[in-house]
Amino acid sequence: MKTKHRFLQVAVISVLLSLLAGAVVILILGKNPLNAYYNLLQGCGLAPKPKYAGGKSMLTDLSSYIDFLTPMIFAALSYAVAMRAGLFNIGISGQMLVSGFLASITVGYSTLSAPIAKPLVIVIGVLGGTAVGALIGYLKYKFNINEVVSSIMLNYIASYVISFFIHTRFIDPVSRQSKTISDAARLTLHQVVIGGYKYDIPIGFAIAIVMVFLFKFIFDRTVFGYELKAVGLNRTAARYAGISVKRTIILSMTISGALAGLAGATYYLGYFASIQPKTLISTGYDAIAVGLLGNNDPVGILVASFLIQIIEKGSTYMSSQAGLESEIASVITGLILLFSACNTYFLGRMQEADSRRQEKMLRAKENTEDISTAENKTDGGTSNNQENKDNSENAEEVKR
Amino acid sequence: MSILNTIIIDGMSFTLPLFIMAIGGIYSERSGITNLALEGLQGMGAFVGALVATILMRSMGTDSAVPYYMAMLFAVIGGTVYAMLHALLCIRFRANQVISGVVMNILASALTAFLTKSINRNIFGAASDKFDLGVSARFTVPGISKIPILGAFFTRVYPFEVIIVVIAVIAWYFLYRTTFGMRLRACGDNPHAVDAAGGDVAKTRFIAVLVSGALSGLAGICFAYSISAKFSSDIYVGYGYLAIAGYIFGNWNLLPTLGACLIFGMSRSAGYQIVQMLGMPSAYSDLVMILPYVLTLVLLIFLSKNNHAPAALGEIYDKSKR
Repeated sequence: MKTKHRFLQVAVISVLLSLLAGAVVILILGKNPLNAYYNLLQGCGLAPKPKYAGGKSMLTDLSSYIDFLTPMIFAALSYAVAMRAGLFNIGISGQMLVSGFLASITVGYSTLSAPIAKPLVIVIGVLGGTAVGALIGYLKYKFNINEVVSSIMLNYIASYVISFFIHTRFIDPVSRQSKTISDAARLTLHQVVIGGYKYDIPIGFAIAIVMVFLFKFIFDRTVFGYELKAVGLNRTAARYAGISVKRTIILSMTISGALAGLAGATYYLGYFASIQPKTLISTGYDAIAVGLLGNNDPVGILVASFLIQIIEKGSTYMSSQAGLESEIASVITGLILLFSACNTYFLGRMQEADSRRQEKMLRAKENTEDISTAENKTDGGTSNNQENKDNSENAEEVKR
Repeated sequence: MSILNTIIIDGMSFTLPLFIMAIGGIYSERSGITNLALEGLQGMGAFVGALVATILMRSMGTDSAVPYYMAMLFAVIGGTVYAMLHALLCIRFRANQVISGVVMNILASALTAFLTKSINRNIFGAASDKFDLGVSARFTVPGISKIPILGAFFTRVYPFEVIIVVIAVIAWYFLYRTTFGMRLRACGDNPHAVDAAGGDVAKTRFIAVLVSGALSGLAGICFAYSISAKFSSDIYVGYGYLAIAGYIFGNWNLLPTLGACLIFGMSRSAGYQIVQMLGMPSAYSDLVMILPYVLTLVLLIFLSKNNHAPAALGEIYDKSKR
């Protein structure tokens, strides 16, 4: 419980330091950092904007922000499942792309009706991500190929191959993206008019919340969750404890891929309705920041993704209002990552400080004890006699 | 010019920067520090180099060769300084080295994209997300270049290729023929032995990571001056990871790594030539682009069983542990 508390402290400090560093940069550029950060909140519908276009309000902005948040929750869970087993899934972006592409060309361009199409998108998305994740896990266990290298290679292969197919078969000549999918297949109810305002209602968000608590349960309360943790902490020890390390590695990568698939489906067939060729989105990398910040704990991830996505989503509005490059958002996310990466060190330092404090308290206690023993020494003579008596008794015993 | 010659000429101009970056990676990993940061290091190096070149070109004109060589120098400096962050994280702050490497890459691409736009807007007064550099001049060695096939290695050579070859030889000498190199390699296999022999593990590893930063920075500016002819976020297309795959094949040794890089470079340029020769539409070049990545995976499958990473790779060195 105590380390958890400490971790929260480190996470909060990381975020504050990053925001501070970002503020310094903004100040150097001659802008007001507080305004800029307020703009971030405004862009996500968490603070009122001075004026809204027709059919827009703070709530519609918020709905769009939650739509944007949904894929990140899946992606960060995907990162966490792999990381719990000590595997680094940096291929989330690629897995998202594969699942999004497969779901788009099979269901997205079909004429299926919504009640069939939407569940089918989720199933195909999950299958696509699962396939790639399982492949990485298999390569790791069968051929001992570093999962970072193989997943990055697969990222680029997926990106180029899909770009090839989009360019040759599915291109929209105007937008230079893949053709827009049918509304029936889209996992976000796009621009739903309620009371004169147009909302984006993400169906995936409900699934995401369910997943957060499902994985919280799996991690904390099931044998599999325990095995994941054991393999992640010490593979050799896990093997001696009778855990099948190979099975756990493949399984965790597979589940990680499946979650990435969900992220892909809710991103490419939810928040967006088309795919930009030759682009690996940053969600897969931001998910690492979220996972690090949330300590790979599902509830922590929910909070962290909420925060990181404010920075990412709000940056567009901030850029237009404050005249700052929207890339500053990625810089701040990068800084959060940087500070979070040092968390073991900070935790260690805190523990050191703790133990030093405990030592001090112990010593203080000893000092008081010393005083009391010194007081005892006044009748030291009698105790000496006692010892002598004991010795002589022992000697007698030996003689016998 | 025959197609074979073109393949060799283009292939070498890609192979050599990749190779010098892989050498940097070997230095870092042989000393025991996992270095996934190569991608970010080359990007940061290219950014600093391109920035210096752009400033110099504005005052000296585009004809002068000074900006070109200054760009090389500052790319090396930029890569080195940025590598210091990785070294600090891994050695001083005991961060997970894999995470640190990935963080370095993400931060580098975010920072350089932001700085490029900000500097262009606030200093050069133009809204642009790139620094235009143009393609480096080339030279052909008279005489030797007339030899069939072999001559292609001396035809239309970029000046940076010569620099890379010289540095590679020096790097080989230092790693395998000096006390420093021996100590560096020992740090990756048994840091406690180095410590017992009176060596400073932390210092050796620090230097090794800086070397990888310097060499990656050089590689980055070479890519910027040849393939992309500019600095922009296009620089992050995974060449750093290709270099990593290169030295994993090469079993963390220099000469086999050169072989791996040659395979990547030649397959890439051969693919391009085939697309052009058959007159296929440009979308097909996307398929060709995957060749090095697919080759990497396939070769890794066959080779990784015989591979032996440095024994202490990725472990945080703790003096008090046994």
